[in-house]
Amino acid sequence: MLIVAGPTGADAHDGGPYHPERPGRIDAVMAGIGDLHLGSDLVSVAADPAPLADLARVHSTSYLNELEAFCADGGGDLDPDTFAGIGSWEAARRAAGAGLAAVDALRDRGDGVAFVVARPPGHHAEFDRAMGFCLLNNVAVAAASLTAAGQRVVVLDWDVHHGNGTQAIFWDDPKVLYVSTHQWPLFPGTGRAEEIGGVTALGLTVNVPLPAGATGDVVRLALEHVASPAVDRFAPDWVLVSCGFDAHRDDPLGELGLSSGDFGRLARLAAEWAPGPGRLAFFLEGGYDAGALRSSVATTLGTLLGGIDGPESETTGGPGEDQVRATAFRRHRAIELAGESAPMDL
Amino acid sequence: MTGTPLTIAVGFDGSPDAEAAVRWAATLAAGTGADLVAVHAVGLLEHAGIDGRATAHRQTVERIADAAGVDPGRVTWSVVDGDPCSAMLRVAGEHPEIGLLVVGSRGAGRHHGSVLGSTSLELAERSHVPVTIVPTGRA
Repeated sequence: MLIVAGPTGADAHDGGPYHPERPGRIDAVMAGIGDLHLGSDLVSVAADPAPLADLARVHSTSYLNELEAFCADGGGDLDPDTFAGIGSWEAARRAAGAGLAAVDALRDRGDGVAFVVARPPGHHAEFDRAMGFCLLNNVAVAAASLTAAGQRVVVLDWDVHHGNGTQAIFWDDPKVLYVSTHQWPLFPGTGRAEEIGGVTALGLTVNVPLPAGATGDVVRLALEHVASPAVDRFAPDWVLVSCGFDAHRDDPLGELGLSSGDFGRLARLAAEWAPGPGRLAFFLEGGYDAGALRSSVATTLGTLLGGIDGPESETTGGPGEDQVRATAFRRHRAIELAGESAPMDL
Repeated sequence: MTGTPLTIAVGFDGSPDAEAAVRWAATLAAGTGADLVAVHAVGLLEHAGIDGRATAHRQTVERIADAAGVDPGRVTWSVVDGDPCSAMLRVAGEHPEIGLLVVGSRGAGRHHGSVLGSTSLELAERSHVPVTIVPTGRA
């Protein structure tokens, strides 16, 4: 069963025809879901605006108030990448609300997989600022709602860009394990192997920077060789995936070499990390080539639901294997060094 | 700040305020013999070539520095992935010889009068080295 949350109201957030984070991305995602022909196995849930109390778990009240006022005043450009218009506050709240609705639906049903059709995306948004097309950190809002209920959450972020916002929000949170594979160097400039979490969550941030051109086999190696041991020790109750499909080889904003078939394989790995059915949700982050976005969504979900096999085979042979192995060493060393001054309990 | 900074880092995004900041920093560098590092943060759109003006920006900085009398050999152009504030902080963190950060009061794309998205205010709050914010219309 696929639970789809959103995308009510996302069109109200529109930076113009030349901005790659555009309303048409939703059309591509929904077309990809439609390609699965799931029939009664597809359940849509409404995306109400996220309550302010939920947003305030991961964003400062002053930032939320300023963003709301900024949008109500007509909005504008928040930085060279990030815009907010008069409809963006409502759209962003609905995007965050879609994540909450997805988690609620999974919890109520105890079964299925959820896909959160959220835009604006979220993983660059920090505690007190917008950034990188992101206004509110959707996956963080959902994860924080779960940790508030005592749950342990893995956030797997396979967007081509490092999720600086999610990492920073949960830097010192022992109930969240953040795992990111991303192109390096690239915006936002964070995500080094040595970034391992704060003193109360040492080792609970896992970054695997990858060179341009890295293929699916390299990303799998990163997750299996570097991240899986940490996930096994962490024993999550939930797995939330920041699934940026801009890691696809056709995407205009990155240079990784993944195919839609690779995302299917990664989705299976994410499902293996989840403790059981009804504990896995995917959150749309990046992905700016409509064709790649459609096929990647279909393959990611089709692989898990048995609907289709993707048209693109998995990729191999790109650079980065040595870098992944070096990352494992550097990360281990960083944890050792940090552990000399602070206790580590994974 | 104690004494004269050995190196001054100035943020540049092509905006008129950033030009004013470079003029101010270049004048100080010329007068004190300090090195000048111009930092250009590359965001998502610029990386994708949608908003690519880095070459023109570099030429602008070099022209302003030359006009202020800074030895071209003391001017460095640094392109850094990330948002402008984080880019400045990262450069300062990686180069301990930098003793002063200089930015314009309002960068490209910022909404006038809004605290939201203010690189200069955020930088002043987070930086461990002194920060000069050059107001609009100065230098």
